[in-house]
Amino acid sequence: MGWLNIVVLSRTLNRTSMVTRSIALGKNKHFLIALSILSLGILPNLGFGQTYGTATNTVTVHVQLITALQISAGIVNLNISGSNAIAGQNQMMTTDQTSTLLWGTNSSLKKITVNTSLASPLFTLQLVALNPTVGTASSQVTLSTTANDLLLNVGRSSGSCGLMYTAIALASQGTGTDSHTITFTVQTQ
Amino acid sequence: MKSLSCTIHRLAVIAIGLVSLIATNSHGQAISITGGNISLSITTGTAGGQLVNVINTAVTLNYQKQSVLAKISVSTSCPGQRYDLSVLATNVTNGVAAPQVTLVNGSPAIDLITGIPSTGSKNASSTLQYTASATFSQGNSTELGDDIHTITYTILAQ
Repeated sequence: MGWLNIVVLSRTLNRTSMVTRSIALGKNKHFLIALSILSLGILPNLGFGQTYGTATNTVTVHVQLITALQISAGIVNLNISGSNAIAGQNQMMTTDQTSTLLWGTNSSLKKITVNTSLASPLFTLQLVALNPTVGTASSQVTLSTTANDLLLNVGRSSGSCGLMYTAIALASQGTGTDSHTITFTVQTQ
Repeated sequence: MKSLSCTIHRLAVIAIGLVSLIATNSHGQAISITGGNISLSITTGTAGGQLVNVINTAVTLNYQKQSVLAKISVSTSCPGQRYDLSVLATNVTNGVAAPQVTLVNGSPAIDLITGIPSTGSKNASSTLQYTASATFSQGNSTELGDDIHTITYTILAQ
């Protein structure tokens, strides 16, 4: 703004000087110079978008590698009873869809795997992800102590899916109870 | 005698002008920052939700009244910005805080504090509340790097 003032005043000075020179032979030139200096001091004080100062601050935003997993239901019970039996068939099964898996990861190329703590189950337990909001569900997996893919392509996303457990028993296996602790893990794909 | 009077008159006018000019450029530090450069680190998130915002209030903006009604604007330079950063002037001792400003690389300066009167106490301050936020889809600093903002605060005539 200071420069603008100087330009404007210089033009004013030249034009005015030409006028006063013809009238008073340039005697007012010093007065006009003084007036220019005065204006330089006063005009900024009148505003006109004048900038009075600046200050800078450096702010760094850091985002850590973050992964979050949550299961909506804590304990799932699958009970195979007489109602699940069909006369003439050895295999009996029951399903549960009360659980939801939620995740969030800000890393690229991630998948979610699943495994069970039970090394030698009496019966078969299977799991499949239903309707994932992000990523691709793998086909139904039979749970073992080895991690199996449940969901693929969930990198840098936040989403959820239903979990459908299927318990399978053969009539020939008799009765009993299997207790699984199931672990879901976000891994690099 | 008349010539001497004219000379004195002209010198007086020049002196007033110079004094006025010097006064304009001698406000001292019209605006400054205390609290230093800071880092905001996002460390947690919610499964099925989003990352948890981080807030920092360690920086203070100090400023002085001017000869006219003034305001303070803010802008940032952050090439390749990936995450979100906003600033809010809190505890403003002179003037009126504007709504929270979202800092976007290259955007024009936005008002942070307005209505700083030319009267009243000379010195004023405000606590700067920075808020960093990000989504899971925006990635992380290990893979993509940090956002480094050079934020400029300017006090100017309103």
